[in-house]
Amino acid sequence: MSLIKAGKGRRKAPLTPWKKQQRKPIPGVPSLNGRWGYPAIAPFFVIFLIFGVAPVVYSIYIAFFKWDPLGESEYNGLNNFIFLLQDSDFWLAIRNTFSIWALSTFPQLIMAIGLAAILRNRRLKWKSFWRTIFLVPNITSIIAITIVFQQLFGRDYGIINGLLGLIPGVDNIDFLEGVIPSHIQIATMITWRWVGYNTLIFLASMLAIPDELYESASCDGATKWQQFRYVTLPSLRNTITFVLIVGTIGGLQVFAEPQQLAPDGGSSKQFLTLTLFLYNQAFLNYKYGYAAAIGIAITVIVLMITTINFFITRKISGEGK
Amino acid sequence: MNKLPKSKVLLTALLGLSLTAGLMAAPAKAEEKTEIVIWAFGEVIQRGLKLEYEKLHPDIKITAVKHEVDGLHNKTTIACQSKTGPADIIAFEVPYSGYWRTGNRSACFEDLRKMKTSDTNVSAGIAAGLSANDIKKNYLPWRWEQGVAFNDVVMGIPTDVGGLQVAYRTDLFKKAGLPTDRVAVAKLWPTWEKFIEVGKGYVAKLTPAEKKSGKAFIDEAGSIYGAIMNQGTTKYYQADGTDAGKLVYKTNPQIKKAWNTAVAAHSAGIGARLGQFQNDWYQGMGKGAMATILAPAWMLDFIKKYAPQTKGKWDIADLPGGGGNQGGTELAIPSYSKKKQAAYDFLTWYLAPEQQLKVFKSYGLFPSASVLYDDAALLEYKDEFFNNAPVGKIYAKSVLNLQPIFEGEKQRIIDTTFGAGLGRVAAKKESSEKSYAKVISDIDKLLKN
Repeated sequence: MSLIKAGKGRRKAPLTPWKKQQRKPIPGVPSLNGRWGYPAIAPFFVIFLIFGVAPVVYSIYIAFFKWDPLGESEYNGLNNFIFLLQDSDFWLAIRNTFSIWALSTFPQLIMAIGLAAILRNRRLKWKSFWRTIFLVPNITSIIAITIVFQQLFGRDYGIINGLLGLIPGVDNIDFLEGVIPSHIQIATMITWRWVGYNTLIFLASMLAIPDELYESASCDGATKWQQFRYVTLPSLRNTITFVLIVGTIGGLQVFAEPQQLAPDGGSSKQFLTLTLFLYNQAFLNYKYGYAAAIGIAITVIVLMITTINFFITRKISGEGK
Repeated sequence: MNKLPKSKVLLTALLGLSLTAGLMAAPAKAEEKTEIVIWAFGEVIQRGLKLEYEKLHPDIKITAVKHEVDGLHNKTTIACQSKTGPADIIAFEVPYSGYWRTGNRSACFEDLRKMKTSDTNVSAGIAAGLSANDIKKNYLPWRWEQGVAFNDVVMGIPTDVGGLQVAYRTDLFKKAGLPTDRVAVAKLWPTWEKFIEVGKGYVAKLTPAEKKSGKAFIDEAGSIYGAIMNQGTTKYYQADGTDAGKLVYKTNPQIKKAWNTAVAAHSAGIGARLGQFQNDWYQGMGKGAMATILAPAWMLDFIKKYAPQTKGKWDIADLPGGGGNQGGTELAIPSYSKKKQAAYDFLTWYLAPEQQLKVFKSYGLFPSASVLYDDAALLEYKDEFFNNAPVGKIYAKSVLNLQPIFEGEKQRIIDTTFGAGLGRVAAKKESSEKSYAKVISDIDKLLKN
């Protein structure tokens, strides 16, 4: 009590945030506004500045150089960017990245919704077991996944080619050398890893749909399929958007799978993705400045797609109302 | 009220400070082990030898951290940039040696010419006061050079040397009507052209079913390219007195020769197109998909591990066209290490001929210590798995035939680009000429800007 009294005289510098709160009380919300607010959020922002903002600023800076981390660097103006636009590998990497993204995202979406609809079934036994097991691929290391999928997709001894070989007249598919076959292989690996995760997200969203909607639908004589089509799917609209956005960000970062299959992205760079292209320019070709320019280009692409996503999302949610 | 807490706080702070200081000082007084941290990959640091050294020196603790080869290279670069890092010893692969030898990058590592062994390993036969220059004579000269920078700084000491010979299946050779004795087999292929011819004859005797299942003479015809490149004296860079060297990837006749031979092997159909260290390759080894592999000494261990059912069915013959090599590692001490003396003492012990011989016998890594090459223990060593072939003798012959090659800064990525070009030819995506032109333009692009 004595402290509060003593503080009363010093209006310009309140001793405790509690005093400030007294002046501007927010009912029901304990607040850290005032002197302690900034220190409280500081740990995040300090770490974010050091590990988030600083590297970004630094890489924008070195994008204008021929950069050698262990030697001399020289100013290179816009040459890195001009060179990038003329580099056929860059456009190849864009093509590959989007092809792999499309091949992994859309089948995955359909599968995840289907699986979630099955998991939602009230008569399903061992619910927790199924939900848990769907997440296991997601926590498996990509390297382990690659090893397993190489057994599946192997040209001579792979299981898929083994099954294809049972059909007379069908030759083995060289999954690694073909453009679309290699994209299918990588997309399958991504789908396998993420489909369970997305299933759980869809499941959570489905469980939030009130039962009354289904009851009244069945009273109106809607079949199971009609219920799914006209009750479940429209309610999932926002979740689908979320999954698409997260999938797009992930899709633009596909790196470990192609790198594990062949570090250079295949003999004709048929599965060189954008991030693998960046990595190889920096760490195999020692062109750090050029790699930084590629990083900026990836950022621009992500921004463009996010903008498109934003407008689509707005349109969808506008329709929902 | 205001003054009292202040002094109290001060007192508490002082008390706390002295207490912490006391606590921190306490363990330092006790005998603490010196920890040597090693960043390496694969089987470079052998567990058995590590334990042996710790037993010899109870005050030393060795922590070996395994990495992937490329990942470790990046980690080393970053650590050197900031001149800090926990590692006291770092391994780097020979394909990267060109990078570290160029420019001022050798400053990342301690100049081993300036280090001197202490007397800690005298009982193990390593005299005190030895610098890198004093132990240089123990090692294969061209292999030693791969750890020496262009400004003569000795960055690393070589661990093993790959060597390169032909591992072949005696049972499959017999079936195809070829000789099985290793001397007679070597006589079949004095040159690469003869090697391809023998392969053609072998493939012609395969049944259609065997052909359809992908069986052929050699695992990967593209591996011939690398073997021939290492038999020359120049690869993509030519020594011209400068650090960087002169780029000769467009003009070096050795490249054309290696390329054309590899393409000829492809079009002769002798390759099973099993990329080495790919899943199908491991499986094919046990299934007789290939009758020959161009194998460095360290690969023999892979064959044993992944095709144990083929025990006794393999033998080793000389490589066509002379000696050969593939791979090898250097161990270096980063300049920012705080335990350089302990690290250097460990290195000189670990890479001494005696220890290299132990590694050879247990893991098959072939020693870079050339003093061993006329040692009876190495020459008479026979491997049961490979039909009692005198592995030591065969590989010694292979590495002694080689000349030092100037390894330039971008050696590795240029090599990868040529490999991709051969891959396109093998997959029948492009003709040899078109693919070669693409390789050259790709390398131009790598070096530009």
